[in-house]
Amino acid sequence: MSTTTPSAALEQNQPWTKRAVRYDAPTVVPRPKRTIGVQTYVPAWAKGTGITMKNFFTNFKERMLGQKRDPVLENFDGGVTTIEYPEEKRPYPERYRGLHRLTVREDESPRCVACLCCSTACPAQCIHIVPAEYPEGDPRRGYERYPTVFVIDELRCIFCGFCVEACPCDAIRMDTGMHPVPYDSREQFIYRRDLMMQFTDRTGQRQTSNDRAEPGDPDHPGITRNNDKH
Amino acid sequence: MMTLAELLLSIVKIAIILGFILNFAGLSVWADRRQSAMVQHRVGPNRAVVTVPTLALRLAFVGGAVAVGGALAAFFWWDAPGHEQSRVALASTVAVGVTWSWLLGLSSHVRDHGANNGFESLVGARDPRVYFYAGVVAHVAVFVVVNVLLPAPGTAAAASSPAIVWGPGLAGMLAAAAILVAAVSAAWRLPDGRTELRLAGTLHAVADTVKAFLKEDLTPKRADRLLYGMAPLISMTTALVTVAVVPFGSSFCFEDQNGDGHVNFAELGALADVTGPTGACPAGYTTVPFQIADLDIGLLFIFAVAGTGIIGAALAGWASDSKPALLGGLRATSQMVSYEVALGLAIVGMLMVCGTVNLREIVDWQGQNTWGIFAQPLAFILFFASAVAETKRIPFDLPEGESELGAGYFIEYSGGKWLLFMVGEYAEFVFSSALIVTLFFGGYHLPFLRGDGIHVAFGDTVLYQASLSHLTVTVLHFFAFCGKTVGFVFFHLFIRWTLPRFRYDQLMKLGWTRLLPLTLVNILGTGAVLLAIDAASPRVAAVVDLIADLSQGVIAAGGMVLGGLTIRWLLAPPRRQRVVVSTTAKLVDAAGGVKPSRMQA
Repeated sequence: MSTTTPSAALEQNQPWTKRAVRYDAPTVVPRPKRTIGVQTYVPAWAKGTGITMKNFFTNFKERMLGQKRDPVLENFDGGVTTIEYPEEKRPYPERYRGLHRLTVREDESPRCVACLCCSTACPAQCIHIVPAEYPEGDPRRGYERYPTVFVIDELRCIFCGFCVEACPCDAIRMDTGMHPVPYDSREQFIYRRDLMMQFTDRTGQRQTSNDRAEPGDPDHPGITRNNDKH
Repeated sequence: MMTLAELLLSIVKIAIILGFILNFAGLSVWADRRQSAMVQHRVGPNRAVVTVPTLALRLAFVGGAVAVGGALAAFFWWDAPGHEQSRVALASTVAVGVTWSWLLGLSSHVRDHGANNGFESLVGARDPRVYFYAGVVAHVAVFVVVNVLLPAPGTAAAASSPAIVWGPGLAGMLAAAAILVAAVSAAWRLPDGRTELRLAGTLHAVADTVKAFLKEDLTPKRADRLLYGMAPLISMTTALVTVAVVPFGSSFCFEDQNGDGHVNFAELGALADVTGPTGACPAGYTTVPFQIADLDIGLLFIFAVAGTGIIGAALAGWASDSKPALLGGLRATSQMVSYEVALGLAIVGMLMVCGTVNLREIVDWQGQNTWGIFAQPLAFILFFASAVAETKRIPFDLPEGESELGAGYFIEYSGGKWLLFMVGEYAEFVFSSALIVTLFFGGYHLPFLRGDGIHVAFGDTVLYQASLSHLTVTVLHFFAFCGKTVGFVFFHLFIRWTLPRFRYDQLMKLGWTRLLPLTLVNILGTGAVLLAIDAASPRVAAVVDLIADLSQGVIAAGGMVLGGLTIRWLLAPPRRQRVVVSTTAKLVDAAGGVKPSRMQA
């Protein structure tokens, strides 16, 4: 009986071990000869200068002749692909979580019902909402509230997107494709309701494509205050 | 005694050469430090922009075209008699060249930016290359018409032929009209309102200069204030003084009407009609060379003055009271002293061949025989390498090795003084290009362009001949020199952009054990060959002359091929591969590409 060492197991090609890699005899890479060309430095110099010239002239020509390649669409085959920010901007990916916007209803009022789900979900506690009842006689009164104050401190925000996930009404979104602009005072980073209602998504829409049923919609009766069975 | 007119001419010459050197030094600082980004597929800083009202720009376009076109038309109309045929040829060539370049540019611009009117859409309908090929055909046609159909100059038919009497003026006006039309067309295409002028980013050089002068000019606490202030001045002035002996063109011949051997204001208008084949002024004419000082010891003067440039670097290193600066200054001194030897010995062969140290005579020898690079190829390589080391540029920029010395001898300098060092370095570098052009690339000479016109001949076989006036030849010579110098400056830049820095011991070893012995070998070899040719039969000398003529042919043919290839390369459409995979790319694709928008806060 013999004990099997790991290396022996490798040698025996046991099925549960990785097959030992067998290297061929090491090939000897010949030391490059110091030919006269190598020693005078001239061929290598000429080759290098040629590459430099090619790159320079090609790029300069394309720039001067207005043949600049598109830095986003055509950046895979060499050449200058610099995005000359801030005059040229690379749009953020489609699902980039940018600045928040508050979506609006058809009548331009905020879609938000001030349920405080977002501010509750917010791990950075950067959302502050003051809810209010719709005025007397408004069909929505008694069904939903609305935010008189909706404030997001974009300096505290960690752009996690939990508020968007938490929102039951699709009222807050982060699809503006914009990043926060660097301001010079903290006050300017406090984004208020009306500002965020002005923001649009990438296509310029302030509403969302999700339907919303207003109170009294016969297709979506929902609960009524008269139906006390609920 | 120098007359007032001669003093004025000297001042004009100094202004021209200083303007050329300093402006071009500024431009090459920009090109070298900024545009090198292009080598790495990056855009260099080119944001400096001047917003100009489009109306002013349009006026400038049209005004410039009127000025240039008017000058050309006047020149072709009133230039010296006796060269009507070549004037018709030149003027028609200008007209044809301007026309096809205009159509080509318009077509490619219309294709990119859309047409404003029916004519533009008509031009844009054809590929830009069509205009180039049509232009080549037109050029050949002009050449044939002028040389075959017009009566030969000097004959009786020529004197009375209306084509000879009216041709030059009409062709000149045609050229002026072509320039004007092109300018108006270009002005038409400018956007309304305001135009942002970037001038290919060259404005950045201006912005850099302004910035450097506005920066604080620091002096280290324990620096030697006098020497610290003098060092940049010394290193800058040496570069500018040495230019004095470089001939930047042939010479003007003014008729000596009052026989005093000087040029007066009255004689400034009496330019010679024609000179001999060598370009020397005929008897009774005063020579005004395109050179600030035509010294017999030209080359020696350059070495004497350039040698003091070492003092600038050494003083800067010493006076700064800083260890890296001192080390850099020491390195600069020893390097420049070492390479000065090789530099001086490398051209001895050239001096032996030409038999003079007067730069104008060296240039004229090259014009009559062959360019120095063909006569002394090894000397050229040695001289070039030493000159790069002498100007302390990559791969020999040990004095400012960033990795070990920061910026070397000028590490403590800032603001305007630093700028002086920079401009001085680049002025020296433009000057060294000018010197190499003068010594090895024929100076202001162009192949087959003699003082009396174009003269294509191999040995005794004359293939083509066209007489040109003195004014035409002189202007061509001036532009030839400027063009060659600019080309060589760019060659310098490419070397800097390509090569890594040597180690210090490698530098010294290269200088003393490689370049120096090779220069001696070159001197010996040159002497042997010269003696052999002198001793050989006149037949050998004739063969050598024929080889010299062939070398001129090679240059001319090479230049033409290079020009053709350049235009072909310029016209080649860019190869683009569009890949739309990411959502970002899809958004961009939907928007029609990344569009530049105005800068926002």
